[in-house]
Amino acid sequence: MNDSLQRIAAIVRADFLLRFRRPSTLIVFLLLSAFAYLWIPAPSTGRALIQINGHRAIYNSGAIGMGTASLGMMFVGLFGYYVISNAIRRDIVSRCGVIAASTPMRSGEYLLGKFLGNLTFLATFLAGFMLSSMAMLIVRGEAPIEPIVFVQQYLLLTPAAIIFVSAVAVLFESIPFLAGKIGDVLYFFFWMTFLGLAVGDQVSGGKMNWARCLDFSGFGFMIDQMTRTLHTDSVSIGASEFDPTKTPILFPGLTLQPEWIFPRIISMLLPLLFLPLAGLFFHRFDPVRTGRTSDKTNRKWIGKIQSLFKPLSRRAVMMLMPLARGQSFLAAIWADAVLTLTLYPLVMVAFVGITIATISGAPQDGLLPIVFAGLAIVVSDVSTRDRRAGTIAILHGAPRLREYFVWWKLGSALVLSIILCLAPILRSALDGLFATAALLVGIVFVSALGTALGVMTTNAKTFIVVFLSFWYVVVNDHGATPTLDFAGFYDRGTSQTTFLYASLSIAALTAAQLFHRWKLARA
Amino acid sequence: MLKIEAVSKRFRAGNYGVRDVSLELKSGVIGLLGPNGAGKTTLLQMLATVTRPTSGRITFGGVDIVARPNELRRKLGYLPQDFGVYDNLTALEFLTYFAALKGVHGKQRVVEMLETVNLHTVANRSLGGFSGGMKQRLGIAQALINDPVFVIVDEPTAGLDPEERVRFRNVLSEIGFGKLVILSTHIVSDIESIATEIAVMKEGALLTMAAPETLLRGAAGHVWQSVVSSEEFDRLRTTLKISSAIRKPDGVHIRFVGPAAAISATPVEPEMEDAFLYLMNFGDTAARVA
Repeated sequence: MNDSLQRIAAIVRADFLLRFRRPSTLIVFLLLSAFAYLWIPAPSTGRALIQINGHRAIYNSGAIGMGTASLGMMFVGLFGYYVISNAIRRDIVSRCGVIAASTPMRSGEYLLGKFLGNLTFLATFLAGFMLSSMAMLIVRGEAPIEPIVFVQQYLLLTPAAIIFVSAVAVLFESIPFLAGKIGDVLYFFFWMTFLGLAVGDQVSGGKMNWARCLDFSGFGFMIDQMTRTLHTDSVSIGASEFDPTKTPILFPGLTLQPEWIFPRIISMLLPLLFLPLAGLFFHRFDPVRTGRTSDKTNRKWIGKIQSLFKPLSRRAVMMLMPLARGQSFLAAIWADAVLTLTLYPLVMVAFVGITIATISGAPQDGLLPIVFAGLAIVVSDVSTRDRRAGTIAILHGAPRLREYFVWWKLGSALVLSIILCLAPILRSALDGLFATAALLVGIVFVSALGTALGVMTTNAKTFIVVFLSFWYVVVNDHGATPTLDFAGFYDRGTSQTTFLYASLSIAALTAAQLFHRWKLARA
Repeated sequence: MLKIEAVSKRFRAGNYGVRDVSLELKSGVIGLLGPNGAGKTTLLQMLATVTRPTSGRITFGGVDIVARPNELRRKLGYLPQDFGVYDNLTALEFLTYFAALKGVHGKQRVVEMLETVNLHTVANRSLGGFSGGMKQRLGIAQALINDPVFVIVDEPTAGLDPEERVRFRNVLSEIGFGKLVILSTHIVSDIESIATEIAVMKEGALLTMAAPETLLRGAAGHVWQSVVSSEEFDRLRTTLKISSAIRKPDGVHIRFVGPAAAISATPVEPEMEDAFLYLMNFGDTAARVA
């Protein structure tokens, strides 16, 4: 093997080992597999993976393969980015990148290595998901397993998405401006734009043929194939209600029609153009460009915006800080919550915004999902920031915080959540006690899950990815499934729903506390 | 071997990290000494081809390393300040990774280096459980894995216990033979015994570069010792540049530096710590002498 290939292979191998040894990878994989289980319900429940004009598709390799591949494609496209977009950042933070920059390694080799590392991770992850989905055929299948048909569904739908996400992650990480939160936000719209183009092509009846080459999600291809095979555009995928009186339909799975061969190949090749583009912007770990110098002009834009609102948060902190004085555990909780407001003045801006929107009568089903998405970002930081900042040892020296770390962080997350949602909570009281209880349980659920995953994985992104995946399902369900209405967004939750999420919160916290005690015992 | 000509690094805010530094270095261990913020790290980053100078020229073996960085990178070993590791990799995997990036083939060299830094017994242990000293030793192993002729180590002893610091110093003095090793630090004792020459930086500029004996000679006649009362010591602390103070039954024994003794004191032989303090505070005069 020549030096260049050896270097690329070493980067891919290191990234692979690092990612697959993280507990967060296992958690995300298990949760994704759980989603597959939920998406493929037993037909006796009145729901099925694929519903076509009220008919359900028989659970065979084609149907389950296509259904789970589309779920995997959505996961890779929407959330895969957030899982993999830290490969270059990790090298900046650990300063291993600076060492790599002082070696004969070419920038192109590094970027290609990172791209292939992303690709390998996502492909392996999806392959594992495919195998666990195949197992669902054994559990709920109504036809024998046809591995080739099953694998074919994944090969037709997911490679372009994997290549696209892997390449965009490298591109965004190479551009300092897009390497942080602005890139995270922009990516969502980037992906949605291409998804919209793919759908637009189908809706326009093929007038936007060129958009097929930009069908990175494979969504356009899937709609087109299903419309052709089933002669209808009334299809829904994923735990959909069907009419049990109608005969089940046999869906053989997706096949590649000649007119789709070229667009599918192009959609796999086009994202590769992002790599030379990334090469133009790549900083090669120059401390001046990555902001790792004493030069204060390198502060990121988000830091600059935060500093604009410092006067607002400073006043709020001055008002709130007296409550944090003293040696009690509650004072410690309050102090940690106030620290969040000090660190992120935008939280205060969000509080003002939510309060104004609530008072001005914004509909709960529109406002609350946005509030909870924001809440997830705030909560994800609370239980992970101390490890990132290297202050864990200092905190463990403070009274009770070592043993009660989980409860301390939960308390802090709850305080922040309640402050942020104060106006919606008060407004829900007008809708009755149950609406308030549902909202409060939703807040507890987010705080508990955020704390638990933060403590167990020490990585803020795990919770963000897990929760936003769930959030995406909830928002798209729009209250159709009462079980999913965890915080009463759509006023469809029942007392069982409230009980379910309260129980899940307790389970998550118990797991986190056991894990924390185990870690302390090992230390 | 290494020639630095009028090199400056100016940041976007207009402040200088390094200003107009010129040096010519041959093989040996060169100590780069200076307080925090003196510009040592920025200078070393430019030498390691990690960042470019805004002006000036750096050549290694006659080759301009700004224009042709790969010429130097093949012969370079670099251990940056605040060096971190990938917690989920083992020492063997970590070193194999950097060996590959440097174009070093085969596992044998990796195993040898782990033995050199005495980490071979924990080669398959996850780096997350390594102490600061073990991580630094792994850092020096990665810097040396390609058998470089030019080694840059930036503040390698920060956070190490005294025993680890001594061990680290010994490793560096052993590898210094026939190579150019630049060791940056703000701790004088790290370099006084192993450096063949010492460059002193302050506020981005090079104050002086000389052999340790020359620096000591420069401070000769400017180091004083006296015994003062505790009350007097509290008062003198703010006016004198005191390099050491030891409380004893007869009072506080102080050593201080300055162009002349400001109080009744006995002149003493300078030590490197005194010479450094003298350079930092009376740099212009001292540099002229050196």
